[in-house]
Amino acid sequence: MADEKKGDRPERPERGGYKKFFPPKKKFCRFCQRNIKFIDYKNADVLKRYVPDRGKISPRRVTGTCSFHQRKLAAAIKRARHMALLPYVIE
Amino acid sequence: MRLYETGFLVAPGMTEDEAEAIVQQLAEVVAQKSGRMIRIERWGKRRMTYAIGKAQEAYYVFFHYEGGAEIPAELARRFRQMDTILRYLTVVKETQPNVRKKKKAKGREAGEPAAGGESKSPEEA
Repeated sequence: MADEKKGDRPERPERGGYKKFFPPKKKFCRFCQRNIKFIDYKNADVLKRYVPDRGKISPRRVTGTCSFHQRKLAAAIKRARHMALLPYVIE
Repeated sequence: MRLYETGFLVAPGMTEDEAEAIVQQLAEVVAQKSGRMIRIERWGKRRMTYAIGKAQEAYYVFFHYEGGAEIPAELARRFRQMDTILRYLTVVKETQPNVRKKKKAKGREAGEPAAGGESKSPEEA
């Protein structure tokens, strides 16, 4: 029965849409690329890239940072916030 | 003995000389407790991203030093007594080698003998 149902179905359209022409860019960890071991909370310019408009820490799935560096990054951002180098909230 | 980094914010309502006097006073604590001051980082007056109390700016100073755990404890005690210190943060600098690299090296070592064992087995057969 299941086979009959499968046969009735129209063929699946090719994987298309915009994805066919614009495959998503492969993300990678910018810290691994530069072989960085420690992320310093003092260089707020680097940390700012991982804190978008709202002031929240960007998730790994958005930035492509590896788990090791994401942990270091999150700690550095929190330290920078304490020292008023980064904001807790942006209204 | 450990490497420490202590950063603190001095309130902006004073001249640079007065702020410098406070910095020198605190730097003496490290020397008193037989620590070694590696360097003092001064960023000068800088705008903070949010107001602390009524202050919009602060003098940013960072001490890099080596010594026992009593130095950051003593500094923290002094910071808490002073109204002119808005914030402080002490960080222990990691001097141990990276854990990730260790793991990789182990894997390689484990991989090589195993590979050797495999090459032997055909000879035995």
